[in-house]
Amino acid sequence: MAESPNTVTLTIDGHEVTVPRGTSLLDAAKTIGEDIPHYCYHPGLTAPAMCRLCLVEVEGAPKPMPSCVTAATDGQVVHTQSELALSRRRGVLEFYLVNHPLDCPICDQSGECKLQDYVHQEGREHGRSREPKRVFGRDDFGGDVLFYGDRCVMCTRCVRFMDEMEQDSRLTVVERGNRSVIDTFFEEGLEGTSWSGNIVDICPVGALVSKEFLHKARAWDLDHTPSICPSCSQGCNIDLHTRDNLVQRLKPRENMEVNGWWMCDHGRANYEWINFGERLEAPLVRTDAASRAMGWKDALGSLVARADELKGRPVLAVASPFASNEDLGALQALVDHLGGGSVVYRMPRAEAEMPMKGFPQLARRRDLAPNGTGADLLGMTRVGDDAGRGGLEQVAAHDGILIVLGDALADQGETFGEGAALYVHLGTHGGPAAAHADYLLPITTFAEQEGTFTNHERRVQRFWKGLDGPGAARPAWFVLGVLLGEMGGGATPRSAADAFALLGARAAAFAGLTYDDLGTRGAVVNDAVPLAGD
Amino acid sequence: MSDAPFKNPGWAGNTGEFDLTEDQVRGDEFVGERPKAGGHPSASATFPFMLPEKNPDTPLFEGEYQERFEKILTRYPTKRAALLPALALAQEIRGYVSPESMDRVAELLDLSSAYVRGVATFYTMYNKAPVGRYLVQVCTNISCNLCGADEVLEAFLKYTDTEMGEISEDGNFTVIEAECLAACGFPTCVQINSRYYENVTPTEVPKIVEHLKADAAKGPR
Amino acid sequence: MAYPYVSDREVRILSRNFGDPSARRLETYEAQGGYGALKKALEMGPDAVIDEVKASGLRGRGGAGFPTGVKWSFMPKDTNKPHYLLCNADESEPGTFKDRELLRWDPHQLIEGLLIGAYAIRAEHAYIYCRGEFFETTQVLAKAVEDAYAKGYIGQDVLGSGVTIDVTVHIGAGAYICGEETGLMNSLEGRRGQPRVKPPFPAAVGAFGMPSTINNVETLAAVPHIVKNGGAWYREQGTEKSPGTKLFCVSGHVNRPGNYELPLGFPLMDLIEDVCGGMKDGHALKAVIPGGSSVPILNAAECADCTLDYEGVQAAGSMLGCASVIVMDEHTDIVKQVRRMVQFYAHESCGQCTPCREGTAWMTKILQRIEDGRGTEEDLQTLLDMCVQMTGTTICVLSDSAAAPVESSIRKFKDEYLALIRRGERVGAA
Repeated sequence: MAESPNTVTLTIDGHEVTVPRGTSLLDAAKTIGEDIPHYCYHPGLTAPAMCRLCLVEVEGAPKPMPSCVTAATDGQVVHTQSELALSRRRGVLEFYLVNHPLDCPICDQSGECKLQDYVHQEGREHGRSREPKRVFGRDDFGGDVLFYGDRCVMCTRCVRFMDEMEQDSRLTVVERGNRSVIDTFFEEGLEGTSWSGNIVDICPVGALVSKEFLHKARAWDLDHTPSICPSCSQGCNIDLHTRDNLVQRLKPRENMEVNGWWMCDHGRANYEWINFGERLEAPLVRTDAASRAMGWKDALGSLVARADELKGRPVLAVASPFASNEDLGALQALVDHLGGGSVVYRMPRAEAEMPMKGFPQLARRRDLAPNGTGADLLGMTRVGDDAGRGGLEQVAAHDGILIVLGDALADQGETFGEGAALYVHLGTHGGPAAAHADYLLPITTFAEQEGTFTNHERRVQRFWKGLDGPGAARPAWFVLGVLLGEMGGGATPRSAADAFALLGARAAAFAGLTYDDLGTRGAVVNDAVPLAGD
Repeated sequence: MSDAPFKNPGWAGNTGEFDLTEDQVRGDEFVGERPKAGGHPSASATFPFMLPEKNPDTPLFEGEYQERFEKILTRYPTKRAALLPALALAQEIRGYVSPESMDRVAELLDLSSAYVRGVATFYTMYNKAPVGRYLVQVCTNISCNLCGADEVLEAFLKYTDTEMGEISEDGNFTVIEAECLAACGFPTCVQINSRYYENVTPTEVPKIVEHLKADAAKGPR
Repeated sequence: MAYPYVSDREVRILSRNFGDPSARRLETYEAQGGYGALKKALEMGPDAVIDEVKASGLRGRGGAGFPTGVKWSFMPKDTNKPHYLLCNADESEPGTFKDRELLRWDPHQLIEGLLIGAYAIRAEHAYIYCRGEFFETTQVLAKAVEDAYAKGYIGQDVLGSGVTIDVTVHIGAGAYICGEETGLMNSLEGRRGQPRVKPPFPAAVGAFGMPSTINNVETLAAVPHIVKNGGAWYREQGTEKSPGTKLFCVSGHVNRPGNYELPLGFPLMDLIEDVCGGMKDGHALKAVIPGGSSVPILNAAECADCTLDYEGVQAAGSMLGCASVIVMDEHTDIVKQVRRMVQFYAHESCGQCTPCREGTAWMTKILQRIEDGRGTEEDLQTLLDMCVQMTGTTICVLSDSAAAPVESSIRKFKDEYLALIRRGERVGAA
């Protein structure tokens, strides 16, 4: 076996594996699909090697070794499933169960609990403890975090997260030995912290649970859909956890290039709007006297006819930075087809960035919308103030063709678009500013459609459909694409991927990129290529 | 301090042919009142005698204690390392380590309050609540236990008329069970405040308790 | 005048001043030739000092018995980073009471050894981590350090050599686990005294993240004598593999408990019968714990031929540890004493590693139940299984220490457990 300066070759469970020098045995074992049980180790935090659950047998070592901190070395022979390794891990699991309450039927973690998993995987069939269990009870840690001390396995991931990532040491282990328990400084809690929701995610058992999610759903009833957090331009990778066609909670999804394993509390809590009812469910077309619900075919047919009549009139459009690249691209294409005109968007903006100190590439960004960058790349212009209001004086009084996509226009009054020759409003709820809309067209939210957002560093990331849209609501790219097609403006995209592929024609940044290129991790858009002579 | 009415030979091998006074064994000339300012910085982290005038409201730190705190800081390469001595200093002045003391020490050392609580609760010598004037710690670990420590503990509870860990009604005593005090050759070892009482037998307990009560009656100490 | 000899087999080197109240004073120590070894060491140079200590075969007295000179030689030779020497005076192993005596009777002996050690490993700062409960002892030591500073033995330019060595007396706050070397370092740094994962070892990353060496009080106290008289002289005492003298802390059921300095390899029964004046009240010997509560119990038969050196005790089925001999007579309730020891470990477990945190507490509960007459025979098997699961599975050896008395006592005194379980009969109960 030739020695290499950068890699080591060892044998794990009979398989020869080659890994970069410095790789832990735990990570090396992953390369052969072996997930060694562990609690205290978390890839984003320091490893104290204290849970002793990841013990494996290393030939020649006098004792079983903690695989999370034992570096792989050349020629090592490791057994993760030998009698010694299994017996020691079985022992550790039995120790955990001496005091663990086994209140799984009322525990939120049940179904995604690592203690359940590991005990089923390799624990003893019957525990031998006959002693009364230790009781700590429940403690409100403040913020969204509730602590069930009895369920805690003392892995201290939460303490280390607050120390190393948030770098606000609000949590600590108090007391020692069997009396040790995680706690805050007496009455002080996690209030005012910005990332503490993550400790609920990294708690391997049901010791730290979300108050907001408490007893709301069982883990196994939730569907998980990969998505992108829409609360700022960081573009944290998340999963939508849904049940009964409602989002029940958001969880971060690992993406080392964007958000690591984390997301901020603000983004995590900001999902109820996705579930709001009172949605537009059918196209509403204003005839002489009143608005009338119509099928898509009739509505779009009449809209195409109206637009044809008004051809040549100036066009203004309001877009939304909450809309996908595909939606925005389709809007831009339609506006161009109608003769061109400016497209503006409004975006709330925070006073300052809020970086996570221990992982500074992750921050809650100033732009509080997921796709301002996409709108910029497509040539749209930001207007209005940092509350995402105002800036529409000219648009509101426009007398030509007016198109609104996604912006709820909450700050606008009933006179909005009153003078427009044609006012098309694509939205989810309507509202006062849509009162004069000639066509009020129901569209889906990001959670109800497939698409992409472009984050602050111009990374395009896909999200998937997690919910069914209400009634006849359709993705905006689809509605706009059909319109364009009917108007003779080109092929109608049949899928979000098609719509994305069309973006390249609008903005060079997207040229050549496909959904396959993006995968689940996203990709940074093309750099602007300087033109010859620039 | 030499008026204790009981033996403290310091050498269990002593079968009577060799006599030292208790003060000689304890190093009386060394174990005097240390300056509150801590003397030389090398020793500033060490305890002086427990302050007679403990007051939970005394500021942290002022005067000589401020001086001592600053000396402590000079002896370690990090501020954090001064935490244990600083907590001890707080206890010396205030009698126990209250949440307020932890908070204040955290502020002085640029640590989080929760961190300080975590450290303070790890160690048994920081009283997390007020204790009686005399904190009686009876070792009941193996060597003392073999020689009747359980009876000594019982005797202390009986003659001070307290429950384990409680403060006696007169405020004088808190009796607790201690782990090995490293005086195994002199069983039973009992630590009362800063001082070791060795070779304690149950029959001597009433004498010790009376002695302490008399000491308490002398005034605020 | 020091304590009279109780046996002519005592060899008092480290303990020569025990019982002499005047020996604490710097003048007395100097009059005995004190700090001469420091002068000599400064002339020899650090590497020669390490070689001399290596030659003496001195082994760490804190329990593990690792050769001191070898340990010192692990320290990096360059001094780009600060080096630290830590003296472990956090004596708290049940049965051990030698360091307190060394500190309070002869503090300068330790300080001189500490300075020589610091010089050898190129440390500019040495910390003496004293057990917090040692109020009085610490005052004696603190005074001695101040005096040594005043005379120029400590500080900048030690004895005009240009070498700087600072010494700080640090006090603990009550935690047995801080006697573990990396636990001590964490505690010194102002953290919870939890042992650290090794590697990295202290010689690479120790106190404050810097190269550090940690030695027991008794180890360092022996150093001035070795430097003064030479390694070969030290080897005149003791055995080939365990040279020198050792303080034996004898406690329990003997007539004269106490600290006795004897050559390593001394027969255990001679210690009990001859030096300590035999069993108290003429009772028969039942068991001995030869190295502090962390080592397996020996029954009377195993004691018979046991010699007190690292190898001899190992051959008898236990470990020398820190040579704390706890003697138990025939009326001792083994189950109760084992429960008391395990209770101690449960109390002192730092709580990091699961087998220790949960195991020690669970063992205590089971043993208490057996003691209360509510045990079952299955409990014994459970306890033995737990001993296996608690040995070699944790960061430090506290968990192993808790398992040792349980495992050895069930193996050697099973009848006592069974008598309690089956008939509720307690040994020693009136």
